[in-house]
Amino acid sequence: MTKTFIISAMLLIGIGALAFSQEAAKETAIASVAIDQPAPDFALKDVNGKEHKLSDYKGKYVVLEWVNYDCPFVKKHYSSGNMQGLQSGFTKKDAVWLSICSSAPGKQGHFPTADLKKRMETEKSTPSAYLIDESGSVGKLYGAKTTPHMFVIDQKGVLRYAGAIDDTPSTKASDIASSTNYVSSALDALIAGKPVGTKSSTPYGCSVKY
Amino acid sequence: MKKRMWYSCIAFAMVLVSAALLRAEPVHRDHVSIELVSDQSAARPGDTVTVGLKIQLEDEWHVYWTNPGDAGLAPRVKWNLPPGFVASPLQFPVPKRIPAGPLVSFGYDKELLLLSDIVIPSDFIPDSLFSFNAEVDWLVCKVECIPGDAVLSLMVPIVENGLAEATAWDEQFRLVRTKQAVEDTNWSVTASASKTNLQLIFTSKSERSSTIPSDLFFFPTKKGIIDNSAAQVLAKKERGFELTIPLNSMNTDTLTEISGLLVAENQWANEGTRTGLKFSAPATMLSSPTPIAFAAVEITWWQAILFAFVGGLILNLMPCVLPVLSIKVLSFVQQAGEGRKQILQHNAVFTLGVLVSFWILAAGLLLLRAGGEQLGWGFQLQSPAFIIILSSFMFLMALNLLGVFEVGTSLTGIGGNSRRSGLLGSFIAGVTATVVATPCTAPFMGSALGYSLTQPALISLAIFTALGLGMSAPYVILTSTPWLLRFVPKPGRWMETLKHVMGFLLMATVVWLVWVLSIQAGSDSILLLLATLLVLGLCAWILGRWGGYAVEQGKRVTAITAAVALALASVSLASFNVTPADSVASGMTQADGLTWEPFSPERVTELNGQGRPLLIDFTAAWCLSCKVNERVAFGSLDVQGKLSSLSVVTMKADWTSRDERITKALAEFGRNSVPLYVLYTGKTGQSPIVLPELLTPGIVIEALNKLEG
Repeated sequence: MTKTFIISAMLLIGIGALAFSQEAAKETAIASVAIDQPAPDFALKDVNGKEHKLSDYKGKYVVLEWVNYDCPFVKKHYSSGNMQGLQSGFTKKDAVWLSICSSAPGKQGHFPTADLKKRMETEKSTPSAYLIDESGSVGKLYGAKTTPHMFVIDQKGVLRYAGAIDDTPSTKASDIASSTNYVSSALDALIAGKPVGTKSSTPYGCSVKY
Repeated sequence: MKKRMWYSCIAFAMVLVSAALLRAEPVHRDHVSIELVSDQSAARPGDTVTVGLKIQLEDEWHVYWTNPGDAGLAPRVKWNLPPGFVASPLQFPVPKRIPAGPLVSFGYDKELLLLSDIVIPSDFIPDSLFSFNAEVDWLVCKVECIPGDAVLSLMVPIVENGLAEATAWDEQFRLVRTKQAVEDTNWSVTASASKTNLQLIFTSKSERSSTIPSDLFFFPTKKGIIDNSAAQVLAKKERGFELTIPLNSMNTDTLTEISGLLVAENQWANEGTRTGLKFSAPATMLSSPTPIAFAAVEITWWQAILFAFVGGLILNLMPCVLPVLSIKVLSFVQQAGEGRKQILQHNAVFTLGVLVSFWILAAGLLLLRAGGEQLGWGFQLQSPAFIIILSSFMFLMALNLLGVFEVGTSLTGIGGNSRRSGLLGSFIAGVTATVVATPCTAPFMGSALGYSLTQPALISLAIFTALGLGMSAPYVILTSTPWLLRFVPKPGRWMETLKHVMGFLLMATVVWLVWVLSIQAGSDSILLLLATLLVLGLCAWILGRWGGYAVEQGKRVTAITAAVALALASVSLASFNVTPADSVASGMTQADGLTWEPFSPERVTELNGQGRPLLIDFTAAWCLSCKVNERVAFGSLDVQGKLSSLSVVTMKADWTSRDERITKALAEFGRNSVPLYVLYTGKTGQSPIVLPELLTPGIVIEALNKLEG
């Protein structure tokens, strides 16, 4: 066998690999998150157009917060300052807080970039980044159902908590004081090197506006 | 007494104006109007008054059931009642499914009447006017959601006797009650849950067979346990039916009791106006099968490495690898004339080729799995495009061996250093051998590979390295032992004959690949592949006729360029245009005198629930050892007789094309490759038996004997 033959053979194999990868890419992703399993990676642009990958934050605790500012359940936690408190509290402890909006363009919770920046100011929202998932692909990948729907990922990229923000499904800010916050319990446990007590719960809120 | 008279007067006046009082004006909020109504104009101490919370919704707006499904919140009421009064929880009618994109909520549209029975204590002083006061809050959603709340009140006179009578609401209340889901002792319900599915089996106790609606849906009382948007599969049975409900993968609670409503979208045909069956049943948790291996048991990492090495050795004997190795054998013969150093070099490079491709395959598999893809060993042969490339390559090699075109002699001028390209050839032979060999998981290898993928990357790579070393070991040993090489005959005319024979062997491999493709992508793809092979034949012929040195350089270069371009174009065209067939091998297949059911996890759960023994054959068209096992073991009349006498259900999980359900099922047994044979004994509490990967009729019968014991 000589060079030409080998080169054509390699080209053939190359085409094969290309065709195969194309085909693999065609497969739609299924919601494939599970507690205590690696959280799937994703890449989304933030409000400033900067791309964030989950894998960029390996080595840090990451919180994913599905958000829709106009949803009354989200308002409950923003008008009371509860969500902002969690955001600043944990980002100070070097955790990364990613708010993700999976509302489709034209649906509630989706804003043009300029409006969004203003809205974030009004809400006094201080996540590490606000990520825009217009296509809903990351939302569907994580099986995000409600706003809010919370996910806590540890330093190794393993999903440690998924579900509701706390144990009181309601829209009343007055309920927050008497509620157990699952996200802060999970993060506090992880930071203290302890196992997470409540690893999952049924999220409550408005449906994600895919 | 005076006081009492006074109360009586008021009571009387109240009764007169009761119509106005019993129906306090509805409260209007965003998209909702809500009011409190009663079924009686007055009540006596000790009576039960039913109070209704009537919610009227604008079109397309919803309120929610107690389990709101994927999103939402049920209306709540807080009664402010005097001491001694007891209000029952709100009675919710049968909910509807409300889809929103990929999500599904459970709730109501248009109007809703929520009832509560309030018991008036018998020592309550009559003739007083009693006001029901309720703090209500709710969530109403169309796409966006708006919470609302209101304080509603309703006056009901409490009188001593005679004056209580039904209001205009009584009729509506009765209607709502008939539409409430009810418990029915005629149906017994058993619930069992696996990791992925909940199975409800409804058995009728009466002889009379009732018509089962085809549009049943189970609404669980508890939130978050089922996959709300997934289809629930109904299967009718002799005395009832069963419903298989996919569970929510995020649910981590153990299901000990299942309760909820079974609702028919339309009515239950011959059961009057019934719309829902209310039930509660203890759930048995079918622990995910911890299979007992029939031959091998749990393995440690060093055992895995050892098995991988032995598996690699045996890979050489696999029918998939033989044709490729024939090329290796040919090069052996050619090398026999060369110096020992060169031979060793060639073999080292061959080994490297094998190892590198194993590493790439393993790394690719690990990466893709980390990304959430459901893949298994041999995944490249699940791609129709890859099959086309591979068969094209094999076909060209065959034509080359048959002498249609001679790249070996004619192009050395361009080739430059012939020894280096010879080494590259050895490398390619190693790569090709590996790529073709992977789908044939030899014995010992299945568990080692399955194990390796659950291990840290370093151990996985060690296992794959052992596999590659095992595969190339025979050649290294053969060539590093000179006295063995003496048995290889000297080059001569016989070599030409051997080359041709090997060429036909490769053609046979192509025939196998064509068959695999026909199963994967249907008959159209075969036309595509055969046409491609025809074009390749033409290219080879052009190369043979005008590519040789006898032809002047200009023509020669044109011919080579044209042939290579045409070949590449046709192959890439074909591989990009081939699409997998929609559904493959659905329905029962009858072969070997056995009836094979297609694989379905729901059916497995069902059969386990019934306690029927079940044999699952995980197979693929491209897995030759599977085909051999099927012929040898399942083709045996003794095995067939035994299977039917024990009434074992046989099921075939065909993994020829990608199938995530099968990949998942394999993973449950710690495997990612075929063949795999699993025998469920059908006895409760017994783990399924995993049969070895090389079957004989004896092994199968021995395993089946355990069913009788």
